[in-house]
Amino acid sequence: MLPGFSPEDRRVWLLIGAITLITLLFLPYSQFVLGVRYDYTLRTVAIGGSLLGIISGVLGCFAVLRQQSLMGDALSHAALPGVAIAFLLAGRELGFLLIGAGVASWLGVQFIRLLTDTTRIKQDTAMGIVLASWFAAGIALLAYIQARPDASQAGLDTFIFGQAAAIVEKDVRLIAGIGLATMFLLVLFWKEFKLITFDAEFAGANGFRVNLFSTLLSTLIVVAIVLGLQLAGVIMMVGMLIAPGIAARQWTNKLTQMVTLAAIFGGFSGGVGAIISALDTDLPTGPMIIVVAFLLVVISISIAPQRGLIWQLLRQRQDQKRFAAQMVLDDLFHYAYDHDSLSTVVPESFLKGMRGSAVKQGLQQLVNKDQVQPVNGGWQLTEAGRQAAADNATNTLMWDLYRQYNQTLDLPLIAEDRQRDIRELLPETAIHKLEKILQEELA
Amino acid sequence: MFEIEGLFIKFLLNFFSNLEINTFLRSPQNTATIIGGLIAISGALLGTFLLLRGMSLTSDAISHTVLLGIVVAFMVLTQLLGQEPDLSSPWLIIGAAAAGVATVVLTEAIYRSGLVKQDAALGLAFPLMFAIAVILVSRFVQDVHMDEDAVMIGEIGVAWADTNSHCLENCEAVTITPDSPEAEFSRQCTNCRELGIGPRDEGAVFSEQCSNCGEYSPAQAWQAGLLETEPLLIFWPKSITVMTLITLLTLAFVLVFFKELKLSTFDPALAAALGFRPGVLHYALMVTISLVAVGAFEAVGSILVIAFFIIPPAAAYILTDNLSRMLVISSLIGAAGAYFGYDLARGSVLGLFQVDAVLRGLNRAFDLKLAETWNSSISASMVLMMFLFFFAAWVLSPKYGLLSTWLRRQNQEKNFDIQVILAHIFNHEGTDKEREELAVGTLYHHFRWPASTTRRMIDQLLSNDLIYIKDGIVRLTSDGKERVEVFRETQLARETVIQ
Repeated sequence: MLPGFSPEDRRVWLLIGAITLITLLFLPYSQFVLGVRYDYTLRTVAIGGSLLGIISGVLGCFAVLRQQSLMGDALSHAALPGVAIAFLLAGRELGFLLIGAGVASWLGVQFIRLLTDTTRIKQDTAMGIVLASWFAAGIALLAYIQARPDASQAGLDTFIFGQAAAIVEKDVRLIAGIGLATMFLLVLFWKEFKLITFDAEFAGANGFRVNLFSTLLSTLIVVAIVLGLQLAGVIMMVGMLIAPGIAARQWTNKLTQMVTLAAIFGGFSGGVGAIISALDTDLPTGPMIIVVAFLLVVISISIAPQRGLIWQLLRQRQDQKRFAAQMVLDDLFHYAYDHDSLSTVVPESFLKGMRGSAVKQGLQQLVNKDQVQPVNGGWQLTEAGRQAAADNATNTLMWDLYRQYNQTLDLPLIAEDRQRDIRELLPETAIHKLEKILQEELA
Repeated sequence: MFEIEGLFIKFLLNFFSNLEINTFLRSPQNTATIIGGLIAISGALLGTFLLLRGMSLTSDAISHTVLLGIVVAFMVLTQLLGQEPDLSSPWLIIGAAAAGVATVVLTEAIYRSGLVKQDAALGLAFPLMFAIAVILVSRFVQDVHMDEDAVMIGEIGVAWADTNSHCLENCEAVTITPDSPEAEFSRQCTNCRELGIGPRDEGAVFSEQCSNCGEYSPAQAWQAGLLETEPLLIFWPKSITVMTLITLLTLAFVLVFFKELKLSTFDPALAAALGFRPGVLHYALMVTISLVAVGAFEAVGSILVIAFFIIPPAAAYILTDNLSRMLVISSLIGAAGAYFGYDLARGSVLGLFQVDAVLRGLNRAFDLKLAETWNSSISASMVLMMFLFFFAAWVLSPKYGLLSTWLRRQNQEKNFDIQVILAHIFNHEGTDKEREELAVGTLYHHFRWPASTTRRMIDQLLSNDLIYIKDGIVRLTSDGKERVEVFRETQLARETVIQ
């Protein structure tokens, strides 16, 4: 595996390592700076929260990549009646509640598929129908359960908004067990899942059983949703499922890296959200997790290398600056050229009329490079400026010639980027050929 | 608001007595059904256009953020401006509706950035808005109208109790001061609370205080027995007014812009080319939806309201191809869902059977020890009723229903079989192989059908007078011949067209 690493890959892995370290720093930070005491209960809650966050973060990647984010929303709402019925039949036993939730979600998926297959109703409407009516059934059943005289229904509400404090050690073991099983399946069928996620048609054409693996992957996602319900609650579950994946997607273009990073982000938001809400009974867990996860998304979208908004903005600014200087230089050169002497003083109003507000920036840069100088209210090219402008003009002409003759002269193919010096991009022989044509044309 | 209510009540008093109106509105069922019906009608009208534009889940986005808008507007009004707004305050409604529209703009902006796909942007934005709202509610807002239960299921069942009282005759506001003859006095300990002592302690100081001083509205004055003549009072639930106004607005929007909405829904490009401004219309639609979602929030909570936008239009979509009819049908289904939903919450399914009986049956059959009285959430039951109607439409729709599709397919198969037999006879009748190909007893060989199926088909053709049997050989009647020829001609015509 190691020899196959490209420098790009290595950089991202290093970045992931650094992010992991930073997230782990939360533990000592909370302990020594914020004064959180990790007693037995809080440890259980924190571990349970991070485990659930990791599982849903990892599987959520596939939901994000397959553009099924809203399916996650529908499925988590659809789990509620299953929880209520399981409670009616078996009491508050986590295993049964999860099975009930899973069955109800699964029925929801099947109903959506049946509806879209047999009618002209589109998938989004079908999801809306299942989401609303399954949820209503759950609410109706909960209201019925709450009207019962015995108080044992306490704790069912946690499935709506999530309640980290309700997680006990037995639950953590169950979560860890199911989590390991899903991760095992994920690793086992990694190649297949990757293929159907990115190119289902290609997979089908090559004899992969797309339907089978697609169902298996959906089932795993249902498992992640159902497990996460007790932490995030039915309404906020979709956020916990997809937010880590969306954040991770910004840092990398590789599935392995994305899934690893999503696990870290998921674990962090699950753990931190659980801890915060366990410390303060007023704060429901689900919303806290969503807020933490969303912060991670905002950070990722802003600062992730290359894709991040900040870098995009900086790149734009840089381009603008570079263009500004070049444009102003061009304008000066042509004005002076048209007035027969390259030492003509060009009035600033002319430049402003041509380019507007970018002129000031451009002139400043040109002055810094000593290419122009102010002369009584106008601007004049210096010796260096004339040279640079002439070079630019030649470069532009060379690009024009390249575009015109690259096929007839059999020149090497390069991407057209007129801001760059063509002499740096083409081999010397090619430049000679172009220069010869240039001489002829000028003559 | 109050003045509009007053006008409407005066209008109603032409037909009913104040007693009748009060009794009618004081029944939780009547008020809940009216409010639910109004929400259902406005939701169905707007939802129809959402469905046809492929934007059903936008109602999901809006309903989630409307909660945040309400909470923030509520906090601003109470904590910064010191008002005591209730959910029918127009500022609250406008603020929340603005928040709803803002989300639509926000999600559109997020996925236009190109970093996040559209579905992911939606799936991220709603839970976040909702999460912030829930945190604010549980942290900062201490008010009965704003607890988490209200967010989930609404309070349509108690909407009748939140009223404005309107006085129309003999209205006399009463003010009692300590000098009034009606004033009553009692001795109260004035320093007990600040010193933390009981009234029996030695240091306790007492003073006479007026226990019934203050201003009395006519309604309160009559109840306290301060008036001799009964004022003419009407107690009018606030939610009804709000929802009625919003429904009228929706209705006006759909009626006035029907042509524009229709065109921009089915052919946005043409609408734009004709100068109908589909963009403006889009946002007008979003504003109206936000208003309905805000109005519905108090009654049905912020999640179940999605059902009012999505389910009735989906049912109508299965039933008809005509836009006007779809609008009417979806409104009817929504209103019926609201009407029968109340009964369902109280345990009666369409008046056909009782849920209690089902529970008893389940207990008897499986020994489940379930509670045997069904008393459940009204708003959720309304949604369930709508789903039931949707389900019925899906199964029974004459054109697109499961049943009719199945029947049509059966029919097509049978027709095809008949064509095959008739064509077979037509081809071989009068040829040399007639005896071999058309003998009644062996006919089934040629189609590779079971003998019994063939026998049944022949019986049917005989009874339809398309064939007759002579000397053990099947032959076409003139009707049968005609049928085959018509079929061949249409087939020929079709093939020519295809070529």
